[in-house]
Amino acid sequence: MVDGLGKAESGAQLLARLEGRSSLKSLEPSLFAEDGYPIHGDIVEFHGPEGTGKTEMLYHLIVRCILPKAGGGLEVGLLFIDTDSHFDMLRLVTVLEHRLSQSSEELIKQCLGRFFLVTCSSSAQLLLTLHSLENMFCSHPSLCLLIIDSMSAFYWIDRANGGENLSLQEANLRRCAQCLGKLVREYHLALFATTQTIMQKSSNSAESSGKHPGEAHVDYRPYLCKSWQQLITHRVFFSKQCHPGSAKGFSITSCHIHNNSVVKRPFSISECGVQF
Amino acid sequence: MILRVGLCIGLTTEMVQLLKDNGIRTVLDLVSSDLETIARKCSLSYKALVAIRRVLLAQFSSFPVNGADLYEELKSSTAILSTGSKSLDKLLDAGLYTGEVTELTGAPGSGKTQVCLHIAANISESLKQRVLYIDSTGGFTATRLLQLLQRRTENEEEQVEALQRIQVVRVFDAYKVLDVLHEFRSTVAQEVVSASAPVKMVVVDSVSAVIYPLLGSRQPDGMAFMMHVARELKTLAKELGVAVVVTNHVTRDASCGQVKPALGRSWSFVPSTRVLLENNKESCGETSNRRIASLTKSPRQPVGIQVELDFESWEPAEDAC
Amino acid sequence: MEQQRELGSFSLPPSLRAKLVAAGFQTAQEVLDVGPCELSKEIGISKQEALEILQVIKGDSHGNERGSGNTVRKYTALELLEEEQVQGFIVTFCSALDDILGGGVPLMKVTEICGAPGVGKTQLCMQLAVDVQFPECFGGLAGEAVFIDTEGSFMVDRVVDMASACVQHCHLIAEMHPEEGHQAALETFSLENILSHIYYFRCHDYVELLAQVYLLSDFLSEHAKVRLVVIDGVAFPFRHDFEDLSLRTRLLNGLAQQLITIANDHTLAVVLTNQMTTRIGQNCSSLVPALGDSWGHAATIRVILHWENKQRLATLYKSPSQKESTVPYCVTPHGFRDVQLPSPALAENKTNPRKRPRVEEQ
Repeated sequence: MVDGLGKAESGAQLLARLEGRSSLKSLEPSLFAEDGYPIHGDIVEFHGPEGTGKTEMLYHLIVRCILPKAGGGLEVGLLFIDTDSHFDMLRLVTVLEHRLSQSSEELIKQCLGRFFLVTCSSSAQLLLTLHSLENMFCSHPSLCLLIIDSMSAFYWIDRANGGENLSLQEANLRRCAQCLGKLVREYHLALFATTQTIMQKSSNSAESSGKHPGEAHVDYRPYLCKSWQQLITHRVFFSKQCHPGSAKGFSITSCHIHNNSVVKRPFSISECGVQF
Repeated sequence: MILRVGLCIGLTTEMVQLLKDNGIRTVLDLVSSDLETIARKCSLSYKALVAIRRVLLAQFSSFPVNGADLYEELKSSTAILSTGSKSLDKLLDAGLYTGEVTELTGAPGSGKTQVCLHIAANISESLKQRVLYIDSTGGFTATRLLQLLQRRTENEEEQVEALQRIQVVRVFDAYKVLDVLHEFRSTVAQEVVSASAPVKMVVVDSVSAVIYPLLGSRQPDGMAFMMHVARELKTLAKELGVAVVVTNHVTRDASCGQVKPALGRSWSFVPSTRVLLENNKESCGETSNRRIASLTKSPRQPVGIQVELDFESWEPAEDAC
Repeated sequence: MEQQRELGSFSLPPSLRAKLVAAGFQTAQEVLDVGPCELSKEIGISKQEALEILQVIKGDSHGNERGSGNTVRKYTALELLEEEQVQGFIVTFCSALDDILGGGVPLMKVTEICGAPGVGKTQLCMQLAVDVQFPECFGGLAGEAVFIDTEGSFMVDRVVDMASACVQHCHLIAEMHPEEGHQAALETFSLENILSHIYYFRCHDYVELLAQVYLLSDFLSEHAKVRLVVIDGVAFPFRHDFEDLSLRTRLLNGLAQQLITIANDHTLAVVLTNQMTTRIGQNCSSLVPALGDSWGHAATIRVILHWENKQRLATLYKSPSQKESTVPYCVTPHGFRDVQLPSPALAENKTNPRKRPRVEEQ
């Protein structure tokens, strides 16, 4: 076991840490406002209300990762942190089966072997688990992607637990964000995390609108702690298309936080998963 | 988690005191800190701190499971429980899935309790599985359940057995509901070899009745408590492999007058599947035994599909749309 | 396992919970591991508060709840069926309405009577307050009634009429069946007795109503024979003074849960009355019960009283066990009755109100 502080890192592990991660550029270019993303170190937030396709998009990304190169996938490993007891393995397998040219039980298990799931039931457990994952990423250089569904799972419970004290309310999530930043940076990962729209957009939306293009016309009000907000490099808003009759029922609005480029793209969800 | 002697090997009284004096009181404090700095400040052995941190992490963090193993396990443990109604099964893609929370929502008199009783009767009588029925509104009526069972079988012994497989708890506030769910989970977990067949379905009718009185103020406490209930329901579904069915009220959208499930946005993420029940006719004087069930959320099926339910026969009429 | 339960899921005062969490406590077990003394020292609260915290956590998470009243009993559906079958109903004296209700107004449920002013809601409530006292040998419950009046519509004169008719009715039965020893029961079933066993409370606004219901549990423990609690009506005190509609919803939902708790704990029927209000729909407007959709869930059984061509009708709109249907009724000087049925014929129906609820025909 490596102690997780980089003290006793072997040369091979160092190499794995820095060089071993595959490129993720072909993961799903449609998710990003510009070509060439995600790059190692990117932190992408999926934000949207219930029923707008966030979870389906995650299954899409997972399948893109775990499919073999021969089948058009990236053939990389990934780790999924389920904080909502929401992950649906059967659905993932359904999407996977549809994407495999000839699906056999053997092949499915091979693909799923690249996928790891961790369940967390409190923000404290999430924090401890994130710290313990350093070892995991060290010893599995094929792991390129970290997914958290969702970051907002403990919001209400933490808020109530913290009483009147805002800093206490946010303490665990703030530490989680710090730890995530470090993990992603040091192990050259890309992180995709969902946050749920659980707040009404405030009536005086001056605070949020205008700051970032694309946010003004979306139902968006950041409510998680600053440390998390500051980590994000790309924010993707999910919404259900309101036009009846359009073939694609859903859409994303993707914002590159640092250069303010924005793009809106429709997508559809069918039995075989997300399609742009 | 407060650092205490006995929490893990190697953590001595002096260490706890020294760490405490330097602001490291909890496991989370220790794990998130830079151990080199702490070792220096507390004049403690860096190596010992690293070892303690490692043990604490192993003790309190959760472990990654490989997808292939998880899939193997799920293949053998997942069950689909038929509701006994062809049209409802069609809507739910064959029935209720164990491991999931399914929500029935609808206006007063739209038949939420009736659907719960019908499903409970089917699971108990046809599938011979046990049911835990948490009644939080007084809507459970054994007489009605007997009526439903009498339609399925004339054998009185079978009726009695089916009635015995359904356990009912009557609790009328959210704290007690959570107590019951918690106690249920821990007793099942403690049973190494379960004496009788395990419970396959848990019904909470209704979840909104007990949560509503807690919501609405500016305090986050009500929301937090709702999330505790949500978490317990989902954990129960996944860990014990049961199908959870909850009922929820509806509210009317102020702007367009459309009905939508109650309990708001945070709750909307909780159930995997949501079914909206509606009376066939809008007017209040007219009553009938038919209801329209529409799928409003599903991990498998396209939302928006509708079926007609017939509370008299439960087996659907052929002209079900 | 049990003790791993998070502190946030216990019913602790928010300020104490925040102190516990701030000190690093997370699960019930951690709190149980330290005694009250250490706990009070560690988070800076009084010993009394520390003891209270431990009580809440122990009461819920340990096996020592015996006798504390915290125990939640599990029943099998079979046990509940047996319970339902011996419980009996409060008859309305309108056999058609009793029939669609499955025998009458059931105990351990909340029944809501909705209708426009003057259709007979209060009449029905007063009738039930008399009927609940019917002696056991006549198939009654020999109970008592609590009548909470929010509108001031309770009329003693009418109750006297109804009670006299009821007593007289019993005397008739007793004369027809002298051998069954009804006479003894009738000695106590007198007008005076009936009136003295209706406990009347007048509430003028929603605060008084909520307070009254809150205090009711103690009253009912002292008056164990009460089998009926009437609130006539529930909408009136909640119609005004509510700028914050969500507060109203929350209070009403809390009230609903309290009422079903009372019905369950004291084995009695709760009967509420509610007014009707106009809802403007997309196509047409219709009359619906007041207080909104979420209140509609409060009662297990909902009966709507309405007029149609000068005929009074009762529609069972919602019931967990009975088919929805509509029957006529009328309000006579003697009380709530079947349409055009002279009282001797009624007696036939009334002698056996304990018969099993009829099973719906296919």
